Amino acid sequence: MTGPADVLARSSRWQVVEYNLLAARAFWKAVLVVGVLTPLLYVLALGVGLGTVVDNGTHPLGVRYLVFVAPAFLTAAAVQIAAADASYPVMSGFKWQRFYHGMAATPLRPTQIADGQLLWIALRLVANSSAYLAIMACFGGATRWQIVLAVPIATLTGVAFAAPVTALAATVNSEGQAFNVLSRFVVTPMFLFAGTFYPVSRLPEWGRWLAYVSPLWHGTELARDAGIGGLSAPAVLGHLAYLAALLVAGIALARWRFQVRIQK
Amino acid sequence: MLACLVVDTLGKSESRTAAAARGAALISATSLRKRFGTFTAVDGIDFQVYRGEAFGFLGPNGAGKSSTMRMIGCVAPITSGRLTILGMDPATHGPQIRARLGVVPQQDTLDTELTVRENLYIYGRYFGISRATLEPKVDQLLDFAQLTERAKSKVEPLSGGMKRRLTIARSLINDPEILLLDEPTTGLDPQARHVLWDRLYRLKHSGVTLVLTTHYMDEAEQLCDRLVVMDGGRIVAEGSPRALIAEHSTREVAELRFAPGQNADAARQLIPVIGNDAERVEALADRVLLYVADGETALARCHEIGLTPVSSLVRRSTLEDVFLRLTGRSLVE
Repeated sequence: MTGPADVLARSSRWQVVEYNLLAARAFWKAVLVVGVLTPLLYVLALGVGLGTVVDNGTHPLGVRYLVFVAPAFLTAAAVQIAAADASYPVMSGFKWQRFYHGMAATPLRPTQIADGQLLWIALRLVANSSAYLAIMACFGGATRWQIVLAVPIATLTGVAFAAPVTALAATVNSEGQAFNVLSRFVVTPMFLFAGTFYPVSRLPEWGRWLAYVSPLWHGTELARDAGIGGLSAPAVLGHLAYLAALLVAGIALARWRFQVRIQK
Repeated sequence: MLACLVVDTLGKSESRTAAAARGAALISATSLRKRFGTFTAVDGIDFQVYRGEAFGFLGPNGAGKSSTMRMIGCVAPITSGRLTILGMDPATHGPQIRARLGVVPQQDTLDTELTVRENLYIYGRYFGISRATLEPKVDQLLDFAQLTERAKSKVEPLSGGMKRRLTIARSLINDPEILLLDEPTTGLDPQARHVLWDRLYRLKHSGVTLVLTTHYMDEAEQLCDRLVVMDGGRIVAEGSPRALIAEHSTREVAELRFAPGQNADAARQLIPVIGNDAERVEALADRVLLYVADGETALARCHEIGLTPVSSLVRRSTLEDVFLRLTGRSLVE
């Protein structure tokens, strides 16, 4: 018989991860499509296909277009997956399936539930980014070993973005219109303007500021630096500091909103 | 099977009532309040729940039952007053208390995408119970909930009654000392309710302390040793179902249904039929109730004075009558 003290010691955010793993098994096909098919299409169509047009015999960006664009795709994919995982599934846990309310009746604390959900997203991003890395390497998108750092960079960027989205998902009570707004006016513009397809320096002044404030740009710069190099140490630290600050603030926000929603 | 299991783990062999008489309260509330902004859901209630008893909160929707249950479940913080559960303060020992509670919420929180078995398993994991311990435990609970054959089925297509049984099975995964049931049978058909009552009755006999809310009279009468009647966030009466009926109602009730619009008028004419101060006439929109010691005699007197109800029946007083007497309103609807 397990005593209450043991129970407490063993109740942790990892059990929230375990729940998500169990739940993900129910839709593993979708997970596989997002994890493998999407990177394959992007790398082939834009990296290889569009790359032949951009490169056109020369290398205007200093390296092959695929080498330039693939680390950015990897990071952008992490942010998109993170945004998706942190929105409807989290809202469902409070509103439709209500599984967070089930967890809240156990020794798990609201803060542990919030942490566990973000931990799960982080693990999923590690797996997805690794798959992405393997796929881009298959098509010649990885030219030096440092590119493996793109996996932790993309994971950090994704979770830093997911944390405040999780807080939002724990707060909204509508049918999720907020997520459509988020997708149309934040996630997609970020993908287009945060230096994924071209260096941000090619944008006019206002466009550059759009990139500077977006977490994806900071992640993209770091991931691209891993693949190609070229960033100064202060720049690297600056990007890391931005992402770390967003992550810490986001976690605090998510914990608070989980607590409020569960206790309501 | 589960009965033995619970008895073993709790080490209870003494009778319920003896334990209740002796032991300290498992749950104790003093001037307990819950406010949401300016709205007071629970307005200063006092109650004690003792080990081994089945304790009920009876009241209409909005009486404050669920808010009370969420405070006992250490999910919602109390606004003011004092609440002790298993000798601990929910504000400081929420996880420790929750580790020893089983909770059957009003709205299901099952994961409909997972299988029946997976729902039980993962819930056990939240309590930190090891996989090895959970495997046989899950089998026992499936058997108890009569869901062994549906173990590998997803939860989605299960009937309402099956989902409730699964929720109850799930709440037992940690061998709880107290089981909290918030309207356990609301929305179920009569047959499913009886199956559920039977399961709850077994649990009670195996020594689990039951705390339940309901707005069904028959449920309260079937399951509760003791209950409080709540209305508008307050406790308006407390006692065993039988004592409450004896105190607040008559032995029998004659229900008379007259043609639409004639009930109030008939009620006025029926006042002389009433024998003494303890007896009374209650006019509802659709029928007239005669609270009397002898229903058949009252019915006969009614015919003697020339009243002919469309239909009539004589029955024993129930908690519904107690509630009507105490609050002037019926419980359901």
